Amino acid sequence: MTARPSIPVPHAPERLERAAVDVSSLPVLVTGPRAPLWWGMVLLLAIESTVFASFATTYLYLRFLAPQWPPMGIDAPGLLLPSINTGVLIASGAAMAWGDAGVKKGNTRQLLIGLAAAVGLGLVFLVLKVIEYRDVSYRWDTNAYGSIVWTIVVFHSTHVASVLLKGTAVAALALKGHFTAERRLGVQINGLYWQFVVAVWVPLYVLLYWVPRL
Amino acid sequence: MTAPPMTTSVVPLPPAPPVSAALVDAAERQQLAETWASPGGFLGWFTHVNHRNIGRRYIITAFAFFVLAGLEALVMRTQLAGPDRTLIDPETYRQLFTMHGVTMLFFFAVPVMEGAGIYLVPLMIGARDMAFPRLNAFGYYVYLFAGVVLYGGLLLGIAPDGGWFNYVPLTLREYSPGINIDLWATMVTFIELAALVAAVELIATIFKMRAPGMSLNRMPLFVWSVLVMAFMILFAMPPLMVASIELAIDRTVGGQFFNAAAGGDALLWQHLFWFFGHPEVYIILVPALGMVSQVVETFTRRPVFGYTALVLSLVAIGFASFGLWVHHMFATGLPELGASFFTASSALIAIPSGVQLFCWIASLWEGRPELRSPLLFVLGFLITFVLGGITGVMVASVPFDIQAHDTYFVVAHLHYVLIGGSVFPLLAAAHYWFPKATGRAMDEGTARLSFWLIFAGVHGTFFVQHALGLMGMPRRVHSYPAEMGWGTLNLVSTVGAFVLGTGFAVFGWNAWRSARRGAAAGADPWGASTLEWATASPPENFNFAHVPVVASRQPLWDAPPDGVPVVVGLRSDRREVLITRTLDAAPDCKLVLPGPTAVPLFTTLAVSVSFFGVLFSPWWVPVGGVLTYAMLVVWNWPRQTHETEDSDGPDHHAARREREAGADDRVAAGWAGEQHTAPEPEPPDGARVGAAAGAHLQADAGTGVSGSADARRVP
Repeated sequence: MTARPSIPVPHAPERLERAAVDVSSLPVLVTGPRAPLWWGMVLLLAIESTVFASFATTYLYLRFLAPQWPPMGIDAPGLLLPSINTGVLIASGAAMAWGDAGVKKGNTRQLLIGLAAAVGLGLVFLVLKVIEYRDVSYRWDTNAYGSIVWTIVVFHSTHVASVLLKGTAVAALALKGHFTAERRLGVQINGLYWQFVVAVWVPLYVLLYWVPRL
Repeated sequence: MTAPPMTTSVVPLPPAPPVSAALVDAAERQQLAETWASPGGFLGWFTHVNHRNIGRRYIITAFAFFVLAGLEALVMRTQLAGPDRTLIDPETYRQLFTMHGVTMLFFFAVPVMEGAGIYLVPLMIGARDMAFPRLNAFGYYVYLFAGVVLYGGLLLGIAPDGGWFNYVPLTLREYSPGINIDLWATMVTFIELAALVAAVELIATIFKMRAPGMSLNRMPLFVWSVLVMAFMILFAMPPLMVASIELAIDRTVGGQFFNAAAGGDALLWQHLFWFFGHPEVYIILVPALGMVSQVVETFTRRPVFGYTALVLSLVAIGFASFGLWVHHMFATGLPELGASFFTASSALIAIPSGVQLFCWIASLWEGRPELRSPLLFVLGFLITFVLGGITGVMVASVPFDIQAHDTYFVVAHLHYVLIGGSVFPLLAAAHYWFPKATGRAMDEGTARLSFWLIFAGVHGTFFVQHALGLMGMPRRVHSYPAEMGWGTLNLVSTVGAFVLGTGFAVFGWNAWRSARRGAAAGADPWGASTLEWATASPPENFNFAHVPVVASRQPLWDAPPDGVPVVVGLRSDRREVLITRTLDAAPDCKLVLPGPTAVPLFTTLAVSVSFFGVLFSPWWVPVGGVLTYAMLVVWNWPRQTHETEDSDGPDHHAARREREAGADDRVAAGWAGEQHTAPEPEPPDGARVGAAAGAHLQADAGTGVSGSADARRVP
């Protein structure tokens, strides 16, 4: 070890350089596809979509394999409560979009009201889901139908719960006056995820409540 | 790829006096070094976020797992060296072959390719770091934790034992009551998380952080291959996560997904697994193909033949790999029409692979190949991979596959494609980029010795296994009776395996020794064409003091002699990086990256509570979830720099307006000019670059193949 030759000193190669582009005045606060974080969220949504699609594929695979769907002894799910509840979730997405539009104009008050409404409606959605599934006649370990229905519902509800938590954190920052018309990437990213959780529920709603009636 | 004519997109340079960066900005360099430094010490190690630190960790950790999996293989080969041997019992053998497969595919091949991407991509696209440095660190810790826990399981004798593809119903609670399979389901899901994180990171970085002028059609082929790999990870890994979650539900809370008696189905597992599993093979192969293209370009001293065809082939392989999964399931009695479709699609993928091979052959044919060790490994790849490809076309046909299914023929085939397609290019890449990473060259003689040992070892081990498979030897048997007559060939295979192991030992020794005593390499020892060779070896923490501006696919070969155009105006007192537009890489905005932090480590610990806890009780999942939420709030809480000294804060606008008449116009002028066919007089060197690039386009079209090669700088 002692006879070790000296490590070559890191040096830039002797290349003649000349200033071609001055970027000192380019902005730091950007939104939408200009921001890497926006891409990060979109890619996360691509992953999440694939996960939901894989669960939906499992559902359809098991459904087409089964002689009867839902299996003997289980009624087709009711439509009234879940349909109303789907409306509630869509309304929370609309409230979130309205709040986002507010901060675009620098209106933090509108953002806060939108967030509060969206979180409230999201909570209603979760409560109604609990009420709905408290009374079903099957569990996740009853049969394959129960396994996939419970998995999809719990998985999606976990997403709703996580956007509620995330929305609360955004609201805390908004109360601190963190967001402005320029500095609103965080709101935008939060909104993107929120709308995804709402949008992904629509095909799941069709799958869980209408496909058994086909 | 609609490549705009290269001549019109040469960056018009605003007049600026040439300066030698090395001379004038010593103070700036010092400040950059301080800004981008990582803390030392043991505790400091857990706060590193720089992409080269994380990339190096990925690569070293992956090679450590490679050694472990290789040792497992040697133990198995020793057991199989002759009939009726009793070195290890069947239960241990099951754990060994499962761990060998799991380690090689999940803990070596994918992470090492991601590590290479994380290490090299920012250097090759002229960026100072990646888009989400903390996410990088998080992914690494997840990978490390998963691997350590899995190997802890092996030490305790509770390692997974259901094969690397873990088929149900064997792996359901009823038939595998131990914790072994739970360990598989949990750790595989965990490592998928690391892979997905790295994929997001790589795509965002490649899309948004390329040097000005490096439009998509000028990206180095390795960067293209990493991009394709990352997109494949994005869509291939989630189905496996879903499969493992469903298996975990079946095993822990009594789910019925795979229980036929309750409406479930065992084949559902195989569909979900192979929908991941087949792209997985190509996830490993695709970046290796990119490595081959870079090595071929450098050692043939000419732009690689058929850039566009190579890129399209990579993308085509990416898409086609998602339509092949059923060929792993031919023996399950699927409808014949389906089987025929998957036979056709499996044969189809030979076409883009063939296009790539012929492009490389054309490059070698028309260039002046220098047979240095990286190119030697590439030639080893060509031979081995083609042999694996041929047996691949054989097993793609249903009648043959039914015969060869679950025999050593398949073992031989998959090792030929994985070692040939992935390990040889990886070794080529290791020898090729070693001087960049360490500042020292690997010893050429030892490198050649390791090549011949590995080449002989691979073919010695696996060629005879084709014959063993055709003789009927099933895979995954822990022993066989003497009267089967498989003894001699198995002995040959075992001897080959030890030659192979010796070859890797020589490689490892060469790397270890050269990193300490190798000859100083200098910034660009190979006279290569891509940006990573424009910076020091090893690069400083900030990679580039001045981000270069790129005007061709071979920026170093086409560098104007009177001064390389560079970007100025990135601050050196904070980790500022340039964001460019996705398609044409025009400068767009800047991003301030976070510095060293332990938040990724604590977030990994929080996530681990869920993943490791579920081995004992499902209630740990929500506990970990709450902890993870808390860590993510800490993670995403606005950083101090943004709060106090945002360059876009209100105060800054005045200063900005003041400057707008001056420097800002240069940006606008420089990059607005790019949109048109720059009518203003270009600098003479710019014209030369344009002409050379034009000749290059012709070369791509196959008309004047050797026309441009001589025009390039050949040191």
